[in-house]
Amino acid sequence: MTTFIELLLGGLAIGSVYALIALGFVVIFKATEVVNFAHASLLLAGGYVTAVLHDDIGFWPALGVGVAGAAVVGAAVEFLVMRRYRGSDHSVLAIVTIGVDILITTELTRRMGTEVLSLGDPWGDGVVTVGGITLAQTRIAAFVVAGLLITLFLLAFRYTSWGVSMRAAAENPQTAALMGIRLGRVSLSAWAVAGALAAVAALFLTVFPTPGLERATSFAALKAFPAAILGGLDSTTGALVGGLVVGVTESLATGYQGDLSFLGRGIGDLAPYLVMLVVLLVRPAGLFGTKELARV
Amino acid sequence: MSEATTDGAAAPGPGRPLTAGLRRPRTHLRLAGALLLLALPFYLDRFWLQAGLFAMAAAIGAIGLNLLTGSTGQLSMGHAFFLAVGAYGYCVLAGESSTQNGHALSGLGLPTWLAAVLAVLLAGAAGGLFSPIAGRLRGAYLGIATLALIFIGQHVLFNAGSLTGGFNGRPVPPFSLFGFTFDDTETVVAAVPFHSFEKLWYAALPALAVSAYFARGVLRGRPGRALNAIRDHRIAAGVTGVPVARYRAGVFVLSSMYAGLAGVLLALVFQRTVPEYFGMVLSLEYLAMIVIGGLGSVAGAVVGAAFVSLLPQVLTHYSDSLPLVSAPGTGGVAPGEASRYLYGAAVVAVVLFLPGGLTRPKKPGENR
Amino acid sequence: MKLRVYGAALAALALAVAGCSGKAASKDGAAADRSGVRTGEGVTDTKITLGALTDMTGVYASLGKSVTQAQRLWVQQTNAAGGICDRQIELTVRDHGYDPQKAVAAYTELEPDVLGFPQFIGSPFVSAVEQRIDNQDKGVVLPQAWSANLLSSPYVRVIGATYDVETINLIDYLLEEERIAEGDRIGHVYFEGDYGENALAGSRHAAKEAGLTVVEQKIKPTDNDMTAQVSALKQAGVKAVVISAGPRQAASLVGVAAATGFDVPVVGNNSAYAPQLLATQAGPALQKDYYVGASTLPIGDAAKGPAALAEAYTAQYPKDGLDNGVIAGYNAASVFGEALKKACASGDLTRDGVGKALLTIKDFGADFGVAHDFTDPAAPSTRQTVVMKPDAKAPGGLKVVRRAEVAPAAESFTAKH
Repeated sequence: MTTFIELLLGGLAIGSVYALIALGFVVIFKATEVVNFAHASLLLAGGYVTAVLHDDIGFWPALGVGVAGAAVVGAAVEFLVMRRYRGSDHSVLAIVTIGVDILITTELTRRMGTEVLSLGDPWGDGVVTVGGITLAQTRIAAFVVAGLLITLFLLAFRYTSWGVSMRAAAENPQTAALMGIRLGRVSLSAWAVAGALAAVAALFLTVFPTPGLERATSFAALKAFPAAILGGLDSTTGALVGGLVVGVTESLATGYQGDLSFLGRGIGDLAPYLVMLVVLLVRPAGLFGTKELARV
Repeated sequence: MSEATTDGAAAPGPGRPLTAGLRRPRTHLRLAGALLLLALPFYLDRFWLQAGLFAMAAAIGAIGLNLLTGSTGQLSMGHAFFLAVGAYGYCVLAGESSTQNGHALSGLGLPTWLAAVLAVLLAGAAGGLFSPIAGRLRGAYLGIATLALIFIGQHVLFNAGSLTGGFNGRPVPPFSLFGFTFDDTETVVAAVPFHSFEKLWYAALPALAVSAYFARGVLRGRPGRALNAIRDHRIAAGVTGVPVARYRAGVFVLSSMYAGLAGVLLALVFQRTVPEYFGMVLSLEYLAMIVIGGLGSVAGAVVGAAFVSLLPQVLTHYSDSLPLVSAPGTGGVAPGEASRYLYGAAVVAVVLFLPGGLTRPKKPGENR
Repeated sequence: MKLRVYGAALAALALAVAGCSGKAASKDGAAADRSGVRTGEGVTDTKITLGALTDMTGVYASLGKSVTQAQRLWVQQTNAAGGICDRQIELTVRDHGYDPQKAVAAYTELEPDVLGFPQFIGSPFVSAVEQRIDNQDKGVVLPQAWSANLLSSPYVRVIGATYDVETINLIDYLLEEERIAEGDRIGHVYFEGDYGENALAGSRHAAKEAGLTVVEQKIKPTDNDMTAQVSALKQAGVKAVVISAGPRQAASLVGVAAATGFDVPVVGNNSAYAPQLLATQAGPALQKDYYVGASTLPIGDAAKGPAALAEAYTAQYPKDGLDNGVIAGYNAASVFGEALKKACASGDLTRDGVGKALLTIKDFGADFGVAHDFTDPAAPSTRQTVVMKPDAKAPGGLKVVRRAEVAPAAESFTAKH
């Protein structure tokens, strides 16, 4: 039972980090209907800036610069690339983000070389033990921070004028534009927000229990894909739920791989995708996604 | 995006006599090009032949993906999975049961030409099996759902040891047709020694030609117009009487069969299947190919495939004499990195500045 | 008719092909130079060309960089000392970035122009071209991978104990130190693929011999957080853990185990450690109860071989850190060099001659703590393993805790082929 609770809590904590990534993904999709495959590189950029700066200016300022840096990279991608596309095919734009991802990731991994960079976080390898259940401090911090950020985001989405324009743009871009909402600004801010969220996620993906930031860190961003789809690509609540489902599935499938060995060992990576396929069979728009209503 | 087949075609139209077509300069160019391709194995060394074979296999796969993504607007990230089905399917069907590193490998030992045909059909069937999911999803949802195929594929390739050989992969039985075997035994043709790559060249070239011809036929005919209509406006297409669901499932199966054929060819070139190869990077490369070459056109897929698969080879081969690129281990930008920069930039630049891809530099619609 | 013109052109072309293709040149068999040494591919009167297929931009970039630089250093030293067989050595390096297509292409590219390969990173790719090596090319290849699946080819020769043998030796170390005893359970966290599954064969054998039970946890190279694995192993009540994965996974495993009070010794294969890890959060835990096996002394050892190499390497590449890839690369190049010398002495510097010369090498490389014997292609060049422990003070971050030894269980062990 202890193991089960440990795995469950560990899964929820890492799942909340996936939720942060997935949220950024969903925000971009809502604002621009583009699937952003460059998300992994935004994450890497944020982590890299933090890792390089923390020795000189301390952890918190470095994290601030890292978050801002990733937001700027995100905004720059929107401004320099996405905005210049004249067509209307969103799958072409999705493929463009693959190109962007290759460019940014190659540059960052070249800079990182073979190093494993530490982000200089204050939690170290501390753990908290309650009733025989052990959890790393970093994981608790991840859960709390991710929870706070997501709440903050949802509030902003609902009550600020930025949130209103975002939702209006997602609802119907033409009408929103006619109502005086600047679509360019909406999509620019969506990319910036996604970058910032990814940078925070990068922090929690590279602190203890993982050794640090290095080229393979960006693979973790792949987990956000099933998370976002599972919840529904246009639903912020969905991103949250999807992230948690992916985290828990992965953690349990790994922890109990001995009992699942008929499926072949090492099923942890695959399990979230299987859950996603099952969900999609039942609900093609994800758990919380809006069904497409077509107007002809 | 609009019309997929604006490529100013040189093919003789229905009402035009054949000789008129033959007199056009474009036709001459094509025939000369075909002759050149046929002559290449007599001149190129093994490295370039192999690079060319990789490019041809990639071209077949890219044509298939372009039918699906370029012409019908269905984003697929799972192309590598269907390549794997073709490659491993061929090995299982044609290979003999044997033991390798203590693992038993099962194989059916069918004649290799039959195995190749069946492997292509098998890939198509795999595409068909996925259609309950593919049929109800669109756009981004379909893209990421197909990503699941990659993870499933990798898991199966590593774990279904008796079929796939696990991490060791399987040896690929050499292809043979009418008693002629495309293997490494030396056959001298016109004083040039022919090994597997030279021989395979003459199997790959017709395979590519037939694939391209068939795809062009599909795109220029009724099905092509239907597919484009689905891409441009699915509901409107449905209203005008296009059986949307049937066409979408059909093109998914067809695209998988192209991937299967590409997989068979790749396996023959590799001579051994390696599970690592059929990962996500491969799927992304195929998407890059069709964007760079030009979405929705057969020529685009071929050009894009050549660009993406030859670029790293060229850069590595000439890394000693290129500026800015340095030999590995001496600092600076390594050739591998340089090629990644170039093809990342190519994807972005092509979409922004040449929306029709390399093969149609003018914006689609401008020349009509 | 135009068609006839093309027919004629085709015929003319076919004739021209026969006449002017460079490939039609007569088969360049072995030639002999002035002093009567037979030569073949990759060897001219003044130069011997060797190939290195490495990974400098992919997942094994840190290994690839150290191995390649060490081999460049060896080439430089050898040439400064007059070369081999009155010829200068040249090393042509190709980076495949751990991509199968590029690796196979790079092999095809270099193969006609080199005598052999003192470096080939990535055992899946070595397996992919093994048929060609064995049946046609017949050049010596020294892979930087220690999988028993690579044994048995007379041309692909693994330097050092294979992962299975190494794992048996590591478990033997734990038994000898009385950290585990008969009836205990041990955990084994291993990579999917060649490396991990070969190591698993070793731990299963060792467990059978010593009456242990193995609790298996398979992971993928992209998994970086070992929390779930540690929970599962803790639940299973294991007394020690073997890790056959990359350095990152080892750091995470050891760090999590230490932080959660799961105090068991952890042993890892030679690929499960990198000195960069000492700077991470897991650094202190790694230095406490983590042990690494390898078939060489650590680069920071005071013995003559490693010390001289460390000094020369640091002088040549002052910016790059020392690690065990340096020794592995240098050692492989030296073995190749030794084979070249022997081949030269017997007057046969062809691929065939080098292959035969390699089969006569015994007791080589004791400078680095382990003597290698290349006379049996079906066996690893040694069954000995040096057990080391991370230490931030030593250059290269490792110090020896047990000198080269063979466990009785490893002596008798043969991998299934």
